[in-house]
Amino acid sequence: MKRIKIWLIPAIILMLLDCVPVLAASSVPYHTYNYDYWENIYYTPAAYIPSGNISGVNIGIGMFSNPQDIFVAEDGNVYVADTGNNRIVVFDSNMRLKRIIDSFENEGKEDTFSSPHGVFVTADNKLYVADTSNLRVVVLNEDGSLLKLISNPTSEVLASDFVFSPLKVVADYSGRVYVIAKNIFQGIMAFDDNGNFTGFTGTINVTISTYEKIWRRLSTKRQREKQIQFIPTEFTGLDIDADGFVYATNIDSNGRQSVRKLNPKGQDVIKKAARNVRGEASLSGDLFWRLQGDYSGASRIVDVVYRGYGIYSILDTTRGRIFTYDDEGNLLYIFGGRGSQEGTFKNPVAIEAVDDKILVLDAYRGEIMTFTATRYGSLINRAVCLRYEGDEASAVELWKQVLELDSNFELAYVGIGKSLLASGDNKKAMEYFKLGMDREYYSIAYKRYRDDILEDNLGYILTAIVVLTILKIVVSQARKANAGKAERRL
Amino acid sequence: MINKEKFKYPFYVMVHPFDGFYEIRHRGKGSVFVALLLVLLFGLSFSINRRYASFVVNYVNPLSVDSRAEIAGIFFAVLLLAVSNWSITCLMEGEGRFKDILTVIGYSLLPMVLTLIPATILSWFVASSEEGLYYLIITIATIFTVILVVIGIMTIHNYTFGKTIATLFLSFIALLIIIFIILLLIYLLQQVFMFFQSLYTEVILKI
Repeated sequence: MKRIKIWLIPAIILMLLDCVPVLAASSVPYHTYNYDYWENIYYTPAAYIPSGNISGVNIGIGMFSNPQDIFVAEDGNVYVADTGNNRIVVFDSNMRLKRIIDSFENEGKEDTFSSPHGVFVTADNKLYVADTSNLRVVVLNEDGSLLKLISNPTSEVLASDFVFSPLKVVADYSGRVYVIAKNIFQGIMAFDDNGNFTGFTGTINVTISTYEKIWRRLSTKRQREKQIQFIPTEFTGLDIDADGFVYATNIDSNGRQSVRKLNPKGQDVIKKAARNVRGEASLSGDLFWRLQGDYSGASRIVDVVYRGYGIYSILDTTRGRIFTYDDEGNLLYIFGGRGSQEGTFKNPVAIEAVDDKILVLDAYRGEIMTFTATRYGSLINRAVCLRYEGDEASAVELWKQVLELDSNFELAYVGIGKSLLASGDNKKAMEYFKLGMDREYYSIAYKRYRDDILEDNLGYILTAIVVLTILKIVVSQARKANAGKAERRL
Repeated sequence: MINKEKFKYPFYVMVHPFDGFYEIRHRGKGSVFVALLLVLLFGLSFSINRRYASFVVNYVNPLSVDSRAEIAGIFFAVLLLAVSNWSITCLMEGEGRFKDILTVIGYSLLPMVLTLIPATILSWFVASSEEGLYYLIITIATIFTVILVVIGIMTIHNYTFGKTIATLFLSFIALLIIIFIILLLIYLLQQVFMFFQSLYTEVILKI
C-alpha cells in the first residue's frame, strides 16, 4: 500500500509538470476573439502567442531610441530603423546582430541619417531609408555604398513651400518608389526609378455626409472658417507584394476601411468579405469600441504586412491588436493587446512577418516583440494558403482540425462545404454552407440537390399529374351527368 | 353578434374596397373583433416569416426573433396609428368613428396575412437566382395593403384623395407627438416614483 503511494507522488508531479507549458500557452495576456457573421464577438483559441522580446540592450548596442520601422528582407535579415539613434540596425534571421548602418559615403564625404522613420529592402538587397529630418530618401547598395538620393521633388501639383519629409518607403520590382510623407493628404507619393516625382497614387476621396453639407450651407462664412476642414485621411503604413501591389493603411475614424491594396494605376482593388450581415464586411480592425476614455475610438491602423498567399495583417495602435485577413477579406484571427506584461505593447508602430512568426516593433519600449503561431493559428494559415493555391481538397483536413479547436470558425465550414459540393454530397454541403453563412454557395448546393430530387422522382410526378387530370375530367363529367339528370327530373 | 358573414366580409372588402369600406361605415358590416383577429394573424405570420423563411432570403438573426414582443409591438403600432388618425380626422371633418379606423387598418392587413405564410413556404424552394419571385409576392402584398388603407381612410371619412394623404401625413406627425408624450410621462412617473422611494428610505433610516 505504502509503496504504491510513493510511486504515485512523482507521477502526479510529472503530470503537473507536463501541464505547465500547456497552461502557459493557453493563458496569453490579451483577448483572442473574432467576429461571426452577425458581428457578434466570440472568443477563440490564441492564434499567436508571445515568444520573447529583442531589445537593443540584450544585444549590446544600447537601447533603441524611439524606433519607428522594421522590415524583414527576402533573405531573412531584419532591418530596424532606430530613429532616435539615427541608425539602421540589421539582424540575421536568427536575430543575431549583423551590422549597424549609421553612415555612408556621399560625394566623397561621410554622410549620416537624421531620424530615419522608414526602412525597406528590395529582393536584390537594395536598402531604402526614409531619412526624415534630412528630407530625403537614401538608397544604398548591399555593400553600403550610396546608389541614389531622392529629395526635393518638383511638380505643379506640389505647393512651392512644400517640405518633403518622408516617413515610410517601399519600392516595387521595377524600381518605382512609393513614399508616405509628412503632412501630405493627397495620397502616396510615387517616384520613377530615376527618383523623379511622377504623382500621387491611391488618393482617398473625402466623403461629406448630407447632414454636414446642410450644416455648412446654413453657417456663415466666419463660422465656416472656424469649422474643421474636410481633409482626406493620412496614410500610415506601407507594404508591397511580389507583383507590385502596394498595401497601404490609413486612419479611418468611422472604422470602415483602413487598408487598401493599390494596383500600379493607383486604384484600390482590395476585396471585402460579402459574408456579413451588413453585406460588406469592414476592413478596419474592431467593429465596436468605447466612445470615450482609455482605449476609445476606432482602431488606429498604423502598419500592414503582406504575408503571402493573400494573407495580410494590420496593426492597431489604439488597443494594440493585430488583425489578420485573407485575400477575400475574411477576418481570420485577432490577437495582441496593450499593457505592461510580456507580450503586450505600449506603443506598437510597425509589424513584420517571417515564416510563422510575427514581429511587432514597440517604439516606447524600444523592443521587437515576437509572436509564434500556435497549432490553431498555423492550421488556419496553411488552410488559407492551400485555398489560395486552389487546392481546396487538401485544405479540408486542416479545416476539420480547425473546427476541433474552434467550432465557431465559419470559414472552415465553407471550406468543407466546398469540397462536399465538389464530391456531389449536396445535402451535406448545404448544411455546411448554412453553418458557414455562405448564401451564394448554399444556393448552388440547393439547386443541385433540388435537381437531383426532381430527376429521381420525375416518373412519379408525371404519373401523378396525368392521374389527377384524368380524375378531374371524370369528376366534372359525372357532375354534368348528374345535373342533367336533376334537370330532367324537374 | 359574430357570424359567418362577418368573417367572410374582409375578403369582400379586399376585392371591392370602395363598396366594402362604405358599408363598414354606414351599414355596420365590419367587426372590430375580426379586425383585431386579423392584426393578430398578421403578427403571427410576420414572426413566422422572419423565423422560418429560407436561408437564401432570410437576413434576420433567428436569435433576435421574439414573436410575443413582435405581436405586441404590431398591436401597439396599430393602436397608435388608429388613435393618431382619429385625433386628426376628428378635427378635419372626418366622418369615421374610432372603431371604423381600427376596422379599416385590420381589414387592410388581409393581403399580408394571406401571402406571408405561402411566401415563406415558397422561399424553401427557391435558389438565389429565383428569390425575385419571393420578393415580388411580398412587395405586391405590401402595396395592396397600403392601397387598401388609403382607400379605407378615404371612404370612411368621406375625403378626397388629396385630403386623405394630407391627413395621413398629419397622423404620422401626431403619432410622433404621442410617442414623445408617452416617453415624457414615463420619465416623469419614474421621477415621482423615485421621489417616494427615497422618501421611504429616508423615513425608514430615521426610524
